[in-house]
Amino acid sequence: MTVGLVRSKDLKAGVRRSAAAWPIGTLRYLVAAIFTGFCLFPFYVIVTTALKTETAIFAWPPVWNFKPTLQSFYNALFVFGGRSAIFYLINSVIISAVSTFVAVVLGAMAAYGFARFSFAGKRHLAFWILSTRFAPPVAFIVPIYLMVQKAGMLDSHIALILIYTAMNLSLVIWILRGFFSEIPIEIEEAALVDGYSRLQIFWRVALPLVRPGIVSTAILSAIFSWNEFLYAMVLTQSKAATLPVYLAGFSNSMGLAWGEYMAVGTMAVLPILIFTFALQKHLVRGLTFGAVK
Amino acid sequence: MEASRTDYFSLGEPKPDSMKLAVERRRATWLLIAPAFVVLLGLNLFPIVYALYISCHYWMLARPQPPRFAGLSNYQELFFDARFRNSVLVSLKFIVLAVGIEMLLGFGLAFVFNTRLRGMATLRKLTLLPSLVMPLVVGLVWFYMFNENFGIVNWFWVVLGGTRVPFLTQGALALLSIVATDVWQWTPFVMLVFFAALQALPEYVYEAARIDGLSGSQIFFRVTLPLLRPAILIVLIIRAVDALRSLELVFMMTKGGPAGDTEVLPWYLYTTGFMSPDLGYAAAMAVLMLALVTILSQLFVRQLESREVTR
Repeated sequence: MTVGLVRSKDLKAGVRRSAAAWPIGTLRYLVAAIFTGFCLFPFYVIVTTALKTETAIFAWPPVWNFKPTLQSFYNALFVFGGRSAIFYLINSVIISAVSTFVAVVLGAMAAYGFARFSFAGKRHLAFWILSTRFAPPVAFIVPIYLMVQKAGMLDSHIALILIYTAMNLSLVIWILRGFFSEIPIEIEEAALVDGYSRLQIFWRVALPLVRPGIVSTAILSAIFSWNEFLYAMVLTQSKAATLPVYLAGFSNSMGLAWGEYMAVGTMAVLPILIFTFALQKHLVRGLTFGAVK
Repeated sequence: MEASRTDYFSLGEPKPDSMKLAVERRRATWLLIAPAFVVLLGLNLFPIVYALYISCHYWMLARPQPPRFAGLSNYQELFFDARFRNSVLVSLKFIVLAVGIEMLLGFGLAFVFNTRLRGMATLRKLTLLPSLVMPLVVGLVWFYMFNENFGIVNWFWVVLGGTRVPFLTQGALALLSIVATDVWQWTPFVMLVFFAALQALPEYVYEAARIDGLSGSQIFFRVTLPLLRPAILIVLIIRAVDALRSLELVFMMTKGGPAGDTEVLPWYLYTTGFMSPDLGYAAAMAVLMLALVTILSQLFVRQLESREVTR
C-alpha cells in the first residue's frame, strides 16, 4: 500500500524513490494495460461480430482472422424484417437532441437562479432536485404509463422528450449551479450597474461564461437519453420507438440474428465513444453531480 | 451566511428605486426556477403520489372493469409473496456482490493509475468507455460472449483447461455472470471517482505525516482512508442505487431465469406490471422501492450538504 502513496511529485523528485520506481512502474503499466484491455475487449467483440459472416459468428473455436463484410449492416438497415434500423436511429437522434436542448435551457435557468438568488426554501428545493437523480424508472413506470395513456400520448415523441427532460434536469441544474457560482460576482455586478436587467445578465453575461459546463452537461444528458431503455420500451411501440427498443427485439429473433443486432449495437455505441472523448475533462464531476471534481 | 454571499443584487437595495428592484428580483427568480420546477413536479412528485394511489387499488391493465379500491391488500399480498421475497433477496445478492467487487477493484486500481508515468493518462481515458455505453448493448455483447456453444468466455475457459460451462442457464452461475458484466461496466467509473479524489488530496498533509514519522501503512489508514471517506460514501450510494434499479442486463441475458435465480426486484416489478398485467400490485412494489431509494438518496444528499457547508 505504500506504493500507492508515492505521489507523482515524489516520483520526479527523489532519487531514492525513482530508484525504487522502476519495478513498480513496470507493474503499474502491466496492471493498467490488462485492465484497459479488459475494458476494451467487448467493444472489439461488438464491432468484429457485426463485421463477420454468419458462419464465422457461430464458429467454434472463435475465428480471429476473417474477411470483414458489411452484410449485417446492410441487412439491419435495408433488408431485415419490419422496420429499418434507420427509423429507430432517427427517433433516437430526435428524442435525445430535443430533450437535451430543453433540459439544458430549463436547467441552466434554474441553476442560475440557485447560484445567484436567495429565496425561502432554496436549500430544500435544491436538494429535492438532487434527489430526483435517484428516481428508479422501474418504480415510476406504472404511474407514468397511466399518465401518458390518459393524455393520449402513448407512442409519441413528445412523451419521451418530456420524461427524459425531467430525468436530466437534476444533472444539468447541479452541474451548472457549480459552474455559475464559480464566475466572479463582480462581472455581473458591473453589468447590473450598466443597466442590464437580471434576465439580460443571465442571458448575455453569465451564460456565455459557462459554455464548457453547458457542453459537458449537454453531452451527458444526450448520452443518458440515448441509452434509456425502460420508458422507451413501455411507452413506445412503433412510431416513436428508439434504438434500445430495436435492440430489445433481439429476444424475438430466436438468438440467430447476432450480426444484425451487433451492427445496430455498433451504431448505438459509436456516437457515444466519439462524444466521450470530447467530454473527458468534466466527466467524473458530471457523473457524481459535482460531488467529486 | 450563504445568502449574503450569493445574493449580489442586494447591492441595489439602498437606492430610491429599491422597491422596483426588489420586485424585479423576485420576478426574475420565479421566471428562472419555475419551468424546471413545474416539470419535476409533474414528472417526479406527482407520479409518486399517483403510485401510492394506484397501489391501493385492484388495477388491471387493459381490462374493461374500472379499478376498485383495495386498501392495503396489495401490500398485504406482497408480504406473503414468496416470489417477491426471492426477488428482494436476488437483488440484495446482486448489489452486494457487484458493488462490493467494483468498490474493491476500483479502489485498488485508482492507486495504480495515480501516477504521472507516461501514457497512463491515455489508458485511464480509455477505461472510461464502458460506463457510457448503452446497458442494453452491454447485455447483448456479454450474452454473446457467455454463450455455451460459441461464446468467447467459454473459449478462454477451455483454453485454460476447463470444459464448457452453461454460464447463463445454470443456477448460481447465471447471477454471477450478470455480476461480472456489471463489474465490467462500472469498475472504471468507481476507479475514476477514486482517482479524482486521490488527485484532490492536499500534498502538505502527506508531508506533515512524513515529518511526524508515520510509516507507509499508518499514512494509508490514518491519512488517506479518512480523507477518502466522502468519496467512498458518494460512489457507494450512487452505485448501490443504480444497481438496485437496473434491469437491462437481466432483460437481455436471462429474463430472470433460470427458475427465478436472476429475477431481481426491477424485473419482477416490470413483469408484474406489464406482462401479468397487475398495475396495482406492481405499484405497491414501486412504492416500497421508492421508500428504499429515498433513504439511500437522503444519505447522498446529507453527504453533499455537509460538503457544501465546509466548502
